[in-house]
Amino acid sequence: MPETRILLKHRDEPGIEDIETYERLGGYTALRKALGMERQEVINEVKSSGLRGRGGAGFPTWIKWDGIPKNTNQPHYVLCNADEGEPGTFKDRELMLKCAHQIVEGIIIAGYATLSKVSYIYIRGEFVESAKMVRKAIDQAYRKGYLGKKILGREDFDFDLYIHVGAGSYECGEESALMSSLMGERGQPRLKFPHAPLPVIAGAWNQPTLINNVETYSVVPHIIVNGGAWYASMGTQGSKGTKIFSLSGHIAKPGNYEIIFGMPLLDLVELAGGVTGGNLKAIIPGGSSVPLIPAEIAKDFTLDYEASQTVQYRMRTMRLPVVGSGGMMVFNDRTDIVTLMLRTAEFYAHESCGKCTPCREGTRWLYKILYRIVSGGGRPSDLDILMNICDGIDGRSYCALGDAAAWPIMGSLKHYRHEYEYWIEHKRSPLGDNFVPPVPNRLNLNFELLPAR
Amino acid sequence: MADNDLVNVKIDGIAVQVPKGTPAIEAAKKAGVDIPFFCYHPKLSMEAGANCRMCLVEVATPRKGPDGTISMAKMPKPQTACSLPVSEGMEIETQTEQVIADRKAILEFLLINHPLDCPICDRGGECPLQNNTIFYGPQNSRFIEEKRHFPKAYPLSKHVVFDRERCIHCARCTRFTDDISGDHQLAFLKRGADMYIDTFNQSKMVSKFSGNVIEICPVGALLSRDYRFKARPWDILSQKSICTQCSNGCNIKLDYRVGRLQRVNARLNEAVNEEWTCDKGKFGMDYVSTDQRLVTPLIRRDGALQPATWSEAMDLVVQRLKEAGKSVGAIGGARCTNEDNYILQKFFRNVLKSNNLDHRLGTYLPPAQSGLHARLGYHTMGNAIADFERMKTIFVIGSDLVNEQPILFLRVRKAWRFKGGRIIAANPAATQISEFADPEVTYRAGAEVALLNGIIKILAERNPSAADLPGYGDFIKSLAGWSIEKAAEESGVSAERIRRIADAIFSGETAFIAGKAVTEHPDASAVIEAICNLAVLSGNAANVNIPVTQCNAQGAMDMGLLPDSAPGYTPVEEPGLNTRQMLEAAADSNLKALWLVGADPVAHYTDADLAKRALGGDTFVIASELFLTPSAELADVVLPVASVAEKDGTYTNCERRVQRIFKAFELSPDVHPDWFVFADASGRLEQPLPYFSARDILREINVTVPLYADCSPQKLGNEGIRWQYPSAKSDLQLVPVEYRPLAKVTVAE
Ligand SMILES: Cc1cc2nc3c(=O)[nH]c(=O)nc-3n(C[C@H](O)[C@H](O)[C@H](O)COP(=O)(O)O)c2cc1C
Ligand code: SF4
Ligand code: SF4
Ligand code: SF4
Ligand code: FES
Repeated sequence: MPETRILLKHRDEPGIEDIETYERLGGYTALRKALGMERQEVINEVKSSGLRGRGGAGFPTWIKWDGIPKNTNQPHYVLCNADEGEPGTFKDRELMLKCAHQIVEGIIIAGYATLSKVSYIYIRGEFVESAKMVRKAIDQAYRKGYLGKKILGREDFDFDLYIHVGAGSYECGEESALMSSLMGERGQPRLKFPHAPLPVIAGAWNQPTLINNVETYSVVPHIIVNGGAWYASMGTQGSKGTKIFSLSGHIAKPGNYEIIFGMPLLDLVELAGGVTGGNLKAIIPGGSSVPLIPAEIAKDFTLDYEASQTVQYRMRTMRLPVVGSGGMMVFNDRTDIVTLMLRTAEFYAHESCGKCTPCREGTRWLYKILYRIVSGGGRPSDLDILMNICDGIDGRSYCALGDAAAWPIMGSLKHYRHEYEYWIEHKRSPLGDNFVPPVPNRLNLNFELLPAR
Repeated sequence: MADNDLVNVKIDGIAVQVPKGTPAIEAAKKAGVDIPFFCYHPKLSMEAGANCRMCLVEVATPRKGPDGTISMAKMPKPQTACSLPVSEGMEIETQTEQVIADRKAILEFLLINHPLDCPICDRGGECPLQNNTIFYGPQNSRFIEEKRHFPKAYPLSKHVVFDRERCIHCARCTRFTDDISGDHQLAFLKRGADMYIDTFNQSKMVSKFSGNVIEICPVGALLSRDYRFKARPWDILSQKSICTQCSNGCNIKLDYRVGRLQRVNARLNEAVNEEWTCDKGKFGMDYVSTDQRLVTPLIRRDGALQPATWSEAMDLVVQRLKEAGKSVGAIGGARCTNEDNYILQKFFRNVLKSNNLDHRLGTYLPPAQSGLHARLGYHTMGNAIADFERMKTIFVIGSDLVNEQPILFLRVRKAWRFKGGRIIAANPAATQISEFADPEVTYRAGAEVALLNGIIKILAERNPSAADLPGYGDFIKSLAGWSIEKAAEESGVSAERIRRIADAIFSGETAFIAGKAVTEHPDASAVIEAICNLAVLSGNAANVNIPVTQCNAQGAMDMGLLPDSAPGYTPVEEPGLNTRQMLEAAADSNLKALWLVGADPVAHYTDADLAKRALGGDTFVIASELFLTPSAELADVVLPVASVAEKDGTYTNCERRVQRIFKAFELSPDVHPDWFVFADASGRLEQPLPYFSARDILREINVTVPLYADCSPQKLGNEGIRWQYPSAKSDLQLVPVEYRPLAKVTVAE
């Protein structure tokens, strides 16, 4: 099955960063069309498209749009989540670099549909180049009257788009932490429904707030131009349209691939040129937060929101997602799973915001145990403890970062327990004597002594 | 649906009715089900809470199926009971296998990096972490990695020391400084397992309320520098008491050991301090157990104060009082109990036949029935402390509230932070209220009346019905020369801001709080009249508050420590001398004997020079004191008396709430409560006042002072009783006030 490029249609077009080129290729016609429609019609179109959020959770987009109170005089906000921090995921980065106007257009349409006046795009701090391209697109859109006062002559539609650049925290991609950060607070998540109102009722600055991912907004102009029905004609029952997967790892042609939902997992690997440096060992299909899938069972998986893996532990059965954010990492059989998990655990231990007990303490504990195992100090009881820690984090943490830290390790313990056992018994990798764990202990805490007052 | 609608929920099968939106943990409490917790605190906002995850429970809510049948749908994840608002039909399970496993997991996480140095931890024995560990803690530690290390005993301020290793990151302390004290001193730095609490840039923690974080910290991380290593919790006794450091009357516990005060903790009283204290109270009460306390009477012999026996001292006192006849007076009582003061005035009025009594040391010594009372029908505060929560607007004028009335300050801030109240403030200099007052204006010192006239002018125009008020004609005529612009020029507050203040007052029920800048104003009565005009004009005649500042100054007034009124504000026929007149009389050798009852005019009276001349002259001076104060050093007889920790009785706080104190320990057999000293003296004068206990005296007060009729020892209970005036004032009126710029004001009255 080939790629189906809708969002990435123009990615190789020279000069696409200029608004003239974008307009020549049909850019901003969706906005014009949307402004000719009733606001509710726009939302209905998104509804009939079956679009689901591309930030990872796959929440139906129209429900959020429709949830923003209508006829309200309160200020309310449209936020675009461009904090893409999920390891293995780099689709938003390319969308911003190559197709920034598409995002801006989608955000303006969302602003129109929800009657908002102000929007922010929260860009990951490290994405300097992407932020520059978005800046350029916004400036051009202002000049052309797509942003600012009385957009395209509409008396009742003023809309501004601001850029907010993050300061280097994965957690700030979590929507409520993003809002905290945007408001100038510590980048920690906020209470969620049913503990607090939904963001569409009380989000940023306690006002109704719509938040979607970069890719989600990028789809919107295409839905408006071609109709929701057209979009819904692609994909599976529960996953409509196309999705960008970022392929990396031991793969011949790494990069972003846009495919229609429902493609078999292994087909996408083939599409990207197949595995390099050995045979396929495992795939992390949707960003480091989803558990890996061993080669032996990879053929059973398709790429859609319906697909899931189950993990059983004590009294619980967990259904873990496959697609996630679309960051697909491919590993050949020279990959040491325990070291891979150590690297993953390091990421989450480093990125945990520290707010809640299970994630703050648990992620660091996972890291320490894994580090000890690859340093030759593993004990047979460690495997139980690892699973126990994951169980204590999953579903108990304040936000989904904790879950995401636990799932990969739970998955690896299900499929690769023997590799852990080998490490513990032989104090070396199953891959052979000369395997050197590439990870230095970066999280060994050393606190400077603070001066007394 | 209104917030107070009741919903039906089930906790472990026990049905309870609670207001909609109640946190599940509170609903469980009502059902008698205990849910363990660390970070939850009912007075702190939830937004930065729900982080310890100790209170996880399983929750199911009713769902309506497509066919209309209702079934229970279990939420897929466990929920934190502290932050979950209950809804109709919700069912909560707190004892399932899963919930117990979750609690164990959370507790293990909390303990892996905890130093577990309980034996040398001040919190040991009263530590929520220890307590929950008993029920959910692991038998063995599975954590063989190295724990987090931090320097122990890291001082945050003069009072608070921080053991960062013990912190469980519950964010109670940070939320306290954001939600309650408003000084935003503590915050989390770094993230993940590296996260820790600190002040901005490692500066000193500057807070008027820092002691509270020690009490709300659920572990021994934030500790009192005073109390550290002094005692074990099971080794101290505790007595209910009231803080004596200001007039707010915080309910406290005196924790003591072998006759010495070890620490002060807050005691819950929702009507007064909720569960807070200020640092003056928490750390300032240690005066009761210092070595400087007087334990023997002193008599001046050969020009120097020398120890004497109780009888020697009292006989001398009685002999000199006999010689003095009616030429006697007493200053003080503002820090004594109502019982002390009642006997003091009874001794002077009935035994010595003198009305020379005054508890005040300030410049403003108005007749008891003048000022606020004449205009609005009450002497000090129209509102109860808790009333401030419901105010739409609170106007603080001439008061550095956080320093003068710390607990009022917290209520006012609460009104703003949690109840949607609007705070406006006008002060001669910026104060801490500027954090939330919108606006806090600074006026030229002394120009209160000018500022008020500007506001009054605007409100008079907006409120045509004011024309019906008695006195309106003269009043409005007196304002003829005033415009907003003139008010702005005289006061130094811009016309725009004066308008904003007027708008805020106009927008709804407004309370006024005036403070020292008003009562110590050379023309205080004019300022107070102007405030009354503003209150009457805006329909807030019941909401003016000019609280007293000393511990029991309100009670001293009530008990008749005033030259012109007996207990219960009954006017006396021949008013005696007030504080200034007594001091002047003593300085001119026109007063034979002066008794200082816990008063130190040399240190606290505005005219220290006059005080020194008065006490150093021919007048025979008796000082009932805890310490050898500068005034006591000039006295002829110094009598040691009991402090709050050593006696029973009642205090009346600034909002007129009568509250009990209880004796904790004895300092020395020669140290008695003040009332006992006067009873002893009257016995020696052969006109005995036979009382055996403070309770006795209170029962007599209940009978002889109608305002205190309800305040019997039995009825006072834990919350105390706020006595009420028999009726509200009905004949409100407006009176012209003359504005005299400060330079022209010379007479102090
Ligand atoms: C730890 C964590 C990190 C996240 N990071 C991102 C991110 O970088 N970008 C993103 O779009 N969504 C991220 N999300 C998901 C967002 O919370 C949110 O679901 C999403 O922005 C909603 O947009 P959508 O409906 O378009 O998917 C993250 C979630 C979690 C729990
Ligand atoms: S799970 Fe807890 S500690 Fe981890 S990022 Fe979320 S809130 Fe922070
Ligand atoms: S905080 Fe509690 S558990 Fe920790 S050392 Fe102190 S007493 Fe022990
Ligand atoms: S210092 Fe105490 S109150 Fe503050 S976060 Fe730590 S445990 Fe909680
Ligand atoms: S008490 Fe509920 S999360 Fe801490």
